[in-house]
Amino acid sequence: MFEFIAEYIPTIIDGLILTIEVTLFGIFAGLGLGTLLAIGDKYGGKVVSSIIRIYVEFFRGSPILIQLFISQYALPTLTHIPINPYITGFAVFALNSAAYQKGYIKGAMETVFEDQMMAGLSTGMSNWQTIRHVILPQTFRIMIPAWSNEFCSLTKSTAVLGLIGILDLTGAGKTMAGQTYRVLETWIVIAVIYLAWITLFTKIADIIYEKKKIPGIELSA
Amino acid sequence: MAYVMECKHLWKIYEQHLFAVKDVSMHIEKGEIKLIFGPSGSGKSTLLRCLAMLTPSDKGEIFLGDQCLTKPGVDLNKARARIGFVFQHIYLFRHLTALGNVELALRYVLKMPKEKAREQALQSLREVKMEEWAHHYPAQLSGGQQQRVGIARALARNPDIILLDEPTSALDPELIGEVIDTLRDLAKEGTTMLIVSHEMSFAREVADEMMFYDEGTIVETGPPEHFFNSPKSERAKKFMTRLIKRTHRE
Repeated sequence: MFEFIAEYIPTIIDGLILTIEVTLFGIFAGLGLGTLLAIGDKYGGKVVSSIIRIYVEFFRGSPILIQLFISQYALPTLTHIPINPYITGFAVFALNSAAYQKGYIKGAMETVFEDQMMAGLSTGMSNWQTIRHVILPQTFRIMIPAWSNEFCSLTKSTAVLGLIGILDLTGAGKTMAGQTYRVLETWIVIAVIYLAWITLFTKIADIIYEKKKIPGIELSA
Repeated sequence: MAYVMECKHLWKIYEQHLFAVKDVSMHIEKGEIKLIFGPSGSGKSTLLRCLAMLTPSDKGEIFLGDQCLTKPGVDLNKARARIGFVFQHIYLFRHLTALGNVELALRYVLKMPKEKAREQALQSLREVKMEEWAHHYPAQLSGGQQQRVGIARALARNPDIILLDEPTSALDPELIGEVIDTLRDLAKEGTTMLIVSHEMSFAREVADEMMFYDEGTIVETGPPEHFFNSPKSERAKKFMTRLIKRTHRE
């Protein structure tokens, strides 16, 4: 039943690699940027914090597909500079995920913030040193479960990449289904691959969460 | 010679009319132990946090040695590094072991190499008799043990002065003794300390001076015996009576 797949393994692998690349880039770049946004929101003063809020509202409040369309098709009509769809794909996923992760990071930071900040300052550390050595290590531990959820939804959103002409895992499935008419088998295989990738990543996140858990403290996120 | 710490006409006003610190002037000399006591909500913690530059004061001057900390442009991190602070609710870094808690500032504030920071942190833990618990996390320690780590963390940098904000009042009664013992050891070594506390027998034993604090001001000052025998102000009298009653009941 699934023999025809063998022929398409290279297509599937290409699509899978692209999906993995976009999600990993999105989740990690989003973590970095989201951390900066969370700190900026907390410390940046009114102006910076308002800009950050507008940014977050835009990326959380509109469909990711529209964000891709805007940067791929709408912006070039203004700037007259064509954009490589791959750059669009990577950038939009990172920016979008940063908006969500900023919320998780800020929320987790709030739970550890006041007393730990004051304790850090009392030892002579600067604000930044306290954030770096005290606040963030606790924040990241607390937010792993939320972060792992973000990873799942980010991975699944990548299925829209085909609509700006990027061949991801869903794109590979379309190619297969289109050429072989084996619709049922194709989409079962594609679904299983998504499932396997998401399961693998979230299991790793679970393991890290358990290993890095602060002894004696049950973190509920 | 300059005092180790001094404040002149210090004010801290919350909102409109809540005076936590109302024109307070005081000083503390090297090796002295001064104790602040008074009703809760009177602003003792705020005073201590202002002195440690953890809460900005509104008016007045604070000196650490001969350096004025309330002038603009002072490097507050450097100043705070010379002041040890022990919190009522301890506030250990939850993700670090006892050793990590003590070590952190040595590494990143005093910029000690790893080995040396470790050695000095262990030395501090030894002073509070917590060396064998060095690798435990805060949540694995009792309240009294945690507070001893808190004291070690404040001690480790060899600060000019240690400010202690009700170090025993959040602890279960049976755990207070070990923390008091630790403080007694520090007192013997000549550590300069400003302590907010209601542990009267401890105060009587180690304090050079006691200050009765109420409604944002130092109402009355004197050696412990003064307060135990004949406090002048009505408020101090009442408060002492209540404290002594309570102590007897326990």
